[in-house]
Amino acid sequence: MAMQIPMHRYEYTKLTPVQIRQAMRATEDGPSSASAFTNELNGRSVRIVTQDGPTLEYAFNSNKRLTVSVDGARRVEAGYGELTLNQIVFFSHTIPGEQRGYNVYIDQGTNLVTVFEVWMSSGITGGTGANQYTLDDREVQRQIYFGHVDTGQGTPAELHKFTNRIEGKGIYWKQDNGIETLEHYASVTNTNFVELTRHTDNLSWVSTSDYVEADVRHFFYNRTECEFSGIHTCFAMDLFSMQQVGVRFGFNENDELEYYMFRGDGKVIGQLAFLEPFDEYGRTPMWMNTDGETAKGARYSYRPVRTFTWMSDAEVAEAAERNTSAFGNGPPSNGDGGAMAANNMPFSDMLVGREFTLRFDNGGPVRDYRVNDVYQLQYRDHADGTWRDAWYRAYEGDDNLAWFGHILEDTNPRAATMVAVDFTNGLVTSIESHMGTPYYGNETTYRAIFGVLEMEGIEPPLYTRHHLTDELIGHAFSWSYSDATTSMHLYTSPNSMSWTIFTANQTMGAQWCSPCLYVKLRPGIYIFCQNEEACNGAQMTELLNTKITRDCGFSFTGGANGVNLGLVGAYGRHIGQFDTRKYFGPNRGSQA
Amino acid sequence: MSSRRSFLTRIGAGVSTALASAAVIAEPSKQGKSDDSPVRVAQLEAEQELRRLHRSFEQALDAGRTDEVVALFTENAEVIFNGGVFDNRRQGISRLYQSSKTGTRMEPAPGFVVAADEQQDSVAVAEDLASATAVFPFSIGVSRLLVTETSHASMARLQGEGTETWWEGGMYKVTYRRDIAAGPWKISRLEYETLSRADWRSGRSWAGPIAPALFVATYPQDPQGPDSLV
Repeated sequence: MAMQIPMHRYEYTKLTPVQIRQAMRATEDGPSSASAFTNELNGRSVRIVTQDGPTLEYAFNSNKRLTVSVDGARRVEAGYGELTLNQIVFFSHTIPGEQRGYNVYIDQGTNLVTVFEVWMSSGITGGTGANQYTLDDREVQRQIYFGHVDTGQGTPAELHKFTNRIEGKGIYWKQDNGIETLEHYASVTNTNFVELTRHTDNLSWVSTSDYVEADVRHFFYNRTECEFSGIHTCFAMDLFSMQQVGVRFGFNENDELEYYMFRGDGKVIGQLAFLEPFDEYGRTPMWMNTDGETAKGARYSYRPVRTFTWMSDAEVAEAAERNTSAFGNGPPSNGDGGAMAANNMPFSDMLVGREFTLRFDNGGPVRDYRVNDVYQLQYRDHADGTWRDAWYRAYEGDDNLAWFGHILEDTNPRAATMVAVDFTNGLVTSIESHMGTPYYGNETTYRAIFGVLEMEGIEPPLYTRHHLTDELIGHAFSWSYSDATTSMHLYTSPNSMSWTIFTANQTMGAQWCSPCLYVKLRPGIYIFCQNEEACNGAQMTELLNTKITRDCGFSFTGGANGVNLGLVGAYGRHIGQFDTRKYFGPNRGSQA
Repeated sequence: MSSRRSFLTRIGAGVSTALASAAVIAEPSKQGKSDDSPVRVAQLEAEQELRRLHRSFEQALDAGRTDEVVALFTENAEVIFNGGVFDNRRQGISRLYQSSKTGTRMEPAPGFVVAADEQQDSVAVAEDLASATAVFPFSIGVSRLLVTETSHASMARLQGEGTETWWEGGMYKVTYRRDIAAGPWKISRLEYETLSRADWRSGRSWAGPIAPALFVATYPQDPQGPDSLV
């Protein structure tokens, strides 16, 4: 049955090393596979010498059993599985009695080998000081070794190598067991993926990954669902025939140990531009990070929830009483832009001198506005009839289209509204936000509500409305909030997105993901809203004008220091598009 | 005094094999102060040693070998940089150089070349050979952690970035001390006298002047900040 609880909200069991060791016994006979195993290695003995890694001496028997000696140690016997992809032979096995195994790719044409050693219960620690953490025992670790089959000819001049040739590519894969996945390789160190057959909402997720180039058409890849179930997927892909052979190893959300091999067929769904220098080939992996995970298995993995302090609704309410700030509770001052709004769009005075009513559908709020100042307004909610003052900021997001935001005063939990008012078409959309989710008091909850503008000279439509949209799905934009802060937003699915931080040479690096929503205001004009759930709880709500490739909007956050409505805005670049809308929602089924 | 005489004697003995070659260097000074004493020779050797020390400092910074950089300073050394004092006794120097790429050499920003008369270097070694001062020009990149709590910044930090960067040109004003017992020269005070700043980094097509970005908070309020303000 598909998962309904999002992966970032799922409470994964803290499996102990004892539990894991016990479960690992089931792997000692080798993996399963929906496709028939191949027998390329039957009866052969292979000595694999790796660079800076182990020497593996294998003897393969005819009944899918092998013996292996690692660095000359005592031979152990294990079951294994084998699948071939052209001249590539891929086999996988674990080491009986231990919590580790090997996924090995041998190129029979060149005798070059890539070995993925995998293990659990790593004990790896990261972070510093009060933020130090130990990785979950269930999280599969990996270490990659490049090497060759020892034929007595010495070490080849060139081995398999890390690459950025997959960066920016997207592939739809369908495995032989029916699992369908959209994989966006929009980083050299992560994957953003949507398991179309695993999650009811088709949210996209980010996992740490490695990309290895074997030759012009064959690549090796892995991803580990760090911070989620910890499960590991590793495969070889042939980008000529668009086929894959691989293995899935680790515990799923039901604490079941999955260990199976698979074949699959793929389809390229798009290619994003990559922005690093043309002579950057991605040979050096981006494993090193500053968070202390430097031991064997080191990799880049963003683990935000480990440093996100939980607060109750009451604690956040108390903080909001002490301090609620909208744009500093004053007019603009030097430094307002900061890291996330230095490239913001200009503020607009287009609301000044106007009085109007926003009437939202389905009994939604009805609010009257009187605006006599470029930074302060008055509003009255018909629910209580009280006029209130509020600091606001407004933009002209498109011709005669206002986009403004303010705190909803005296609310508990503290709330804010970010409103698009179309003075040409008489349509309005509000992103209604308030502090608190069922999980954290210091996360925000948001929703889009639609309605009409009532004012002199406007005849609002009865039926036409702004609406949620999938038009942005598959698109990627870089957003430069300041000279020092650029990220790429990839709009991956109707309710989720990912953001990628560029490295110093503009390679796409660190990546994370969140749920979100998209509203269409006009052709090419959208509202995008996301909350960095299980991360830092911050909400970003932007109006995207794709005609000028700029965005402008608001941040809404709350925590120990109070609640803050701030600014975001950026210069954008369109980085490319994946053709993925057909895989989602009511369109599903038409992809063939 | 006796210990100093003793030291000079040892220096004299210790450098005896170097005297011949040093004489070439010492020769010009005969025309000036007629200073051809072993002390002057030792001063000239110390000057060369200090120039090597400065090169080591720059090379270690460029390579990100922070431990090596810190080892070039005395235990109680101070670095004065952008309105802040970084105290080695409080790990300030390590903090300054470890948390950013500050101090790594880079070409001057276009149009921001420091004037030639401001690039003169000099080294003056005290007669007691236990202290020295020097002035060296610098053209460096400066980085400071972004002041924001966004995920954007934390992710960038995790991959070694998340900083604002700019270019500075000016003069190092350095004071050196030599612990006679231990031998090697060390930096006891390093002041960055910035003469020019530009919003520029390698690969960019334009550069513009920026206002001085002085520290306004100390560590730990500013995680990358100094131990005290100037």
